[in-house]
Amino acid sequence: MSEQKSRNIPPLMIVLWLAITTLGVVGSLYVVPWLMPDVASNTMHLGVLTMVIFSVAAAPVAGVVYAVLVYGIVRWRYRGQGVPPDGPAIRANGPVTSLWLVGSTVLTIFLLVWGLALLANDQGSEASAEMTVDVTGQQWVWSFAYPGTQVKSHELYVPVDTEISFRVTSEDVVHGFWIPQMGIKVNANPGVFTSVAVMPNKVGTYDVRCTEICGLNHAVMVTRVHVLTKSDYQQWLNQQPASI
Amino acid sequence: MSTNVDNAVHTPVGGGVMRRLNFATGAIAGIAGALIAWFAARHLLNADGQLFDDQVTTLMGCGWVVGFLLGIGALTAPGKWASGRDQSHDDEMYLAGKGMGTFRYWRFTTDHKVVGVQYIIVTMILLGAGGLLAMGIRTNLITPGNHFVPQQVYNAFLGVHGMLMILGLIVAVAGPWANFVLPIQVGARDMAFPRLNALSLWTLVAAIPLLLGSLFVGAMDMGWVTQAPISNQSGPGFDLFALSIITFTISTTVAGVNTICTALTMRTEGMTLNRLPIFTWASMFAAGLGLYAFPFFFVVMGLNLADRTVGTSFFTASGGGTGWLQENLFWLMGHPEVYVILLPAVGALLEIASVFARKPLFSYRTAIGAMAGLCGLSALVWAHHMFTTGWAPALGGPFMLTTELISIPTGVIFLVIMGTIWKGNLWMRLPMLWLLGFVANFIVGGITGIYLSDIPLDNELHGTMFVVAHFHYVFVGSVLFGALGALAYWFPKVTGRFLDETMGRISFWLVFIGTQVTFLSMFMSGMRGMPRRYASYALIFEHTNLISSVGAYMIMAGMLTLLGAVIHSWKKGEPSGPNPWAAKSLEWMVPTPVPLENFEVLPVVTADPYTYGEELVRS
Repeated sequence: MSEQKSRNIPPLMIVLWLAITTLGVVGSLYVVPWLMPDVASNTMHLGVLTMVIFSVAAAPVAGVVYAVLVYGIVRWRYRGQGVPPDGPAIRANGPVTSLWLVGSTVLTIFLLVWGLALLANDQGSEASAEMTVDVTGQQWVWSFAYPGTQVKSHELYVPVDTEISFRVTSEDVVHGFWIPQMGIKVNANPGVFTSVAVMPNKVGTYDVRCTEICGLNHAVMVTRVHVLTKSDYQQWLNQQPASI
Repeated sequence: MSTNVDNAVHTPVGGGVMRRLNFATGAIAGIAGALIAWFAARHLLNADGQLFDDQVTTLMGCGWVVGFLLGIGALTAPGKWASGRDQSHDDEMYLAGKGMGTFRYWRFTTDHKVVGVQYIIVTMILLGAGGLLAMGIRTNLITPGNHFVPQQVYNAFLGVHGMLMILGLIVAVAGPWANFVLPIQVGARDMAFPRLNALSLWTLVAAIPLLLGSLFVGAMDMGWVTQAPISNQSGPGFDLFALSIITFTISTTVAGVNTICTALTMRTEGMTLNRLPIFTWASMFAAGLGLYAFPFFFVVMGLNLADRTVGTSFFTASGGGTGWLQENLFWLMGHPEVYVILLPAVGALLEIASVFARKPLFSYRTAIGAMAGLCGLSALVWAHHMFTTGWAPALGGPFMLTTELISIPTGVIFLVIMGTIWKGNLWMRLPMLWLLGFVANFIVGGITGIYLSDIPLDNELHGTMFVVAHFHYVFVGSVLFGALGALAYWFPKVTGRFLDETMGRISFWLVFIGTQVTFLSMFMSGMRGMPRRYASYALIFEHTNLISSVGAYMIMAGMLTLLGAVIHSWKKGEPSGPNPWAAKSLEWMVPTPVPLENFEVLPVVTADPYTYGEELVRS
């Protein structure tokens, strides 16, 4: 039956699908973490993990589309002259449509549950903050003030393995406070405070970049984060002159 | 309606004052209007006031729009009606451009096919200007500290590039084809409201000089999202920018009402809703969604203008307002707008899929359901643009849910295309190439959108080049591909000639490869940590940016090749006849060039246009 035959999946297409999916999965596992910045917090670790998992989950779906595309271009291409003859009159296929809908719904629910779980984790970390740093953006410099001290700085110093909450505001326009290696970002809005929390887990020097266009020098509104051992942090704090 | 008189070969005697009005008189009246507004403003307003410059600029912009519309005759017929007279039949035939040759393209012509062609030209101007600015941006980013243009100019380029492209893509498919093709597809002699049709076109034309002019009168330098309160620091360019958007929203609202009314009320006998071509459905959904979305655009720009010109403080914290209001209003428009842009392109591509695979459209009703789902959901996802703003963190979960649900109807679009080409006889002409390119790109744009919908991951990726690459895969890789597919598909109906296949193929490959080169490396820039809208950047982003710039030049080369193909083929292309693709929808059943009022006798429809491979029962 030609009608029946036209609904079977060609074996070569399955091979293509397996190949593309494998390529996608391997790429997700190796390329994604390689492209992302250094990981300096658990939040960032989970972010990268999310990207890897979403990529792995997406690979078979993209694989279906690319397999049909490539197979179709090669095998279903009309090679004659002029208008091709009509193809089989397939107007619908209930089981395939249902399978596609169920599959995409299940994937979506999985992504959602994963995302909500991580979100709850992020919000939990904010509740358990051990110290608060005030972050102020102004055109085009970041200022940091440390709790219980008079210390202010334009580069951020924080102790490692400490849950830190950032209380963020702006003196003029909206800025975006982002530490790429820690996976946290929140806007600095004039007139209100926003907050974001993270626990840095690796000693080192990282970046702060502004992510909301804030005028002429937006591109150079960058500074550094120094994650120090707890004793180094105390020592640094004690050495700072109290600002007036 | 269509009488013997219409078919007689003579220029109608009506027209009245419209005989003397055209684009040139519109431009002159527009400039005069701006000058009068300037003169009046200088004399009537307090020149020492802080807001003086903005007030003068705004009034000048208004003067231009009103003058232009008066000067081109957009308000002649309503004026007549208001003074107790009405248009005569001859007046209407004169307005439709009967017997006027190519001159009818330069005036307020109501024939929907003329308006469609005018929209093609306007789209080319918008995308061309936006493309030149994109080249400026990418040239600036070739090396980390390159200042091809000064930083302030670079910042101004960003917003105007963005808005030109957004406006250009909103009209890229819906403008030319929902005007030229849609009335014929449903079996109508014109749009439901022909004069409104011309009004929407010329209102759009009035908006363009304002948008381009904003570059020259004090930069609008905060990106296309025009976030407050930085918008209050901008020069008077912002006033023209906002006025341009306000004018544009009037244009799209008028056009949207017209599209919906045409598709619903002008259908010929037998053109039931379940026989309506999918492109008509898609245009109707997009128009309806636009009616929901663009009032927000009007309001957000209007309030921002009020803040700047009369000293209100809707969006400034120091006066009791909040920038979050601006962001909410903007994205209430901004996300549905993505689907206003996308749906007509998808509709055109689904037509192409059926015709060029020689198969019925797969799951026609599911496709319509998916489009309806996209429309509904797109109105409920706006705050995913605001996950990192700090506004309403408690709403993160719900907005993540609605956003991720969108992947289900989007997946259906893929299913419909794959089902349609399944075991078909794929005819590899230009429109089919653009369709296949769309599929390859849209899957990338779609999947990367899911990353961004996930809040913990968005906290890393928001505001970076990753986002820019994501939506360029959607807008360039998907919508532009759809628009160019539609152009190649319907070009023979407009001109009677094929779009040159060789030049078309060269442009396809340049744009397709250029898209991958530009935006795949842009994903890398973003993942490595490069924020968007940076005029200069750290050394670690050097290689990926250089590659992106090379790819951008490839896209430009491809688009210029396509422009060459369009210009060449318009007059000298290979003649195509009325139905070169052996398609079955009504626009291919009428002669080419399509006569005024399209059908001598209105057709009676007995089946949908996707009956490939089926025995037709003739009634």
